[in-house]
Amino acid sequence: MAVAAFSTHEVPAQAPTREVSRRRAIRRFKLSLLAPLIALFVFVLIPALLLQLYFSFHQWTVYLSSWWEADFVGFDLFEEVLTDPRFGWAVLRSLAFATGSTFGCFIFGFLLAYLMNRPFRGQAIFYIIFLLPMLTVPVVVAYTAEMMLYQSGPLNDIISRLSGFEFKPSWLSNPHLALMTVGLLEIWNWTPFSFIIMSAGLAAIPKEPIEAAQILGASKWRIFWEVQLPLLRPVILLALVLRFLEAMAEFPKTWALFQGGPGSATETLPVYIFMTTWQYFQISKGAAMSYIVMLMMIVIVLGAIQLLRREKRSLDTMYAPAPKAEA
Amino acid sequence: MSMTKSRRRRITTIIRYGVLGLWALLAFFPIYWIVSTSFKIDTQWFAWPPYYFPSPPTLSNYMNVWFGAEEYTQTQYAISSQKPLISLWNSTVIATVSTFLSVLFGSIIAYGVSRYRILSEARMFQLLMLRMIPPIVIVAPLSLYYSAIGLLDTRTGLILVYFLTTLPYAVWMTKSFIDEVPREVEQAAEILGASRWRTVFEIVLPLIRSGLVATFLFILILTWSEYLLALILTKTDVTTLPIELSKYQGSTEGRVYGRQAALAVGITVPLMIVGLIIRKHLARGFSFGMVRR
Repeated sequence: MAVAAFSTHEVPAQAPTREVSRRRAIRRFKLSLLAPLIALFVFVLIPALLLQLYFSFHQWTVYLSSWWEADFVGFDLFEEVLTDPRFGWAVLRSLAFATGSTFGCFIFGFLLAYLMNRPFRGQAIFYIIFLLPMLTVPVVVAYTAEMMLYQSGPLNDIISRLSGFEFKPSWLSNPHLALMTVGLLEIWNWTPFSFIIMSAGLAAIPKEPIEAAQILGASKWRIFWEVQLPLLRPVILLALVLRFLEAMAEFPKTWALFQGGPGSATETLPVYIFMTTWQYFQISKGAAMSYIVMLMMIVIVLGAIQLLRREKRSLDTMYAPAPKAEA
Repeated sequence: MSMTKSRRRRITTIIRYGVLGLWALLAFFPIYWIVSTSFKIDTQWFAWPPYYFPSPPTLSNYMNVWFGAEEYTQTQYAISSQKPLISLWNSTVIATVSTFLSVLFGSIIAYGVSRYRILSEARMFQLLMLRMIPPIVIVAPLSLYYSAIGLLDTRTGLILVYFLTTLPYAVWMTKSFIDEVPREVEQAAEILGASRWRTVFEIVLPLIRSGLVATFLFILILTWSEYLLALILTKTDVTTLPIELSKYQGSTEGRVYGRQAALAVGITVPLMIVGLIIRKHLARGFSFGMVRR
């Protein structure tokens, strides 16, 4: 459609050679627009991917001599990873962490966005405060947590004083709590993301259906479930999908705070790959693991993309310029 | 039994302020805590019961961390090997250069997509994979490759990776701005004989300059706070601030909270300023331009 728009002022059959050279020029122009992306792929991404492939079929660690003389081992490394129970646990932990924190972020973010939907006094201040957690560096979040969550630290102290009970969970050293602690930090850190997405979504849905339902005497509850929620579906899916994918990749907080411990309580996929590669120096096993995780994530991402593509159409109609009736 | 309307409204208001106020406290308290810790003397960093206010407040953490003032070292923790100012410089260079490249080339690609369809819709979504696949799966071979070609532990190396991983955001976000520019202007320019490149640089990009600034600042947030790639692809020569922050560990007693807090505040303040400047565009950025405000 874009090209068509550009060629409307042309008279087609006028000069065929000119037309051909023009087409060629446009093709060259298009390629040069893409050149930096292609260069990055060729010089950065593809060599790394090929090396990854090499290492996942050749047994090598840093203690051995030159890596290009490593032994070919076929699918042994993949088998080793897939039969490694620690890997299985890491997959489960990552999925649990990502699912839990995604829904946590979403519920709180949506609640806040819903309560902030109508103007009221002090709204701007609330909005700014709600954004702040997202605007802190993830490692800073980890170290702040360390400063606050020690057993007699401020969080436990405040809760104890307010409730009158001795509230002393060891957030950082109890293996049953550690993953949840990171999850809560993730929720603290990224609820603003769901909040701004849902706020934007609520602001963008058309007012007419809601007003119509109000006139018909529908309760707030029914309007929410039967009018607003269906209209918000694309935005909700977007908020869930993007957050889930980011949570699957979460590394800085988990690593800076726990390094996989206590025990192996916070060994999520990124942490386990990191440890295999940089602490045990099993470069090849790490590479094979990376490949498996990459394939797994590609499957998940392709599903997510399918979903987003479908929903983007409805989003685009939502933001399409209003019909020119008023102009 | 039935409540009057005004009473019901008052209850709704109370609930609203109650929930929002509670969350505001939850959101703000950790930020308050790190700021207040940065002003505490060493005996109050890890105390029981905790000190909720620094008393007396001290600037020693800032003086020691940022200016290396030894006379402010009141503790047994001697921190001389760390170099926050050098990391600050590294972070600044790496974040701004990679973000600039990302926005410049991202917007050019976005223009091509918007006007010439150089990438189909399917390709555009595949581009998102660069962002959605966790970087951990590629970083080990990348570091071996980098060490082979001499890019390991260099600013250039990290800039290239950040450029690559933030490009999807740049393309999608600037495309959402370019899509809002009417095509008539470009057609007029073309009829007047402007070359294609001139149309891009002198007409389209200037028209979306506020969008470009928003994209730039948004991506700056991502590159400024990145941790994993910086941790692995830089070792000693080039450290960025988030990596520097994790180095503050005392020899005997765990972390050096006050110093760390002073450093953390220094890292976070610029980020918050930038984020609040573009707060209207954050939703657009994080949703790849799919949700706007």
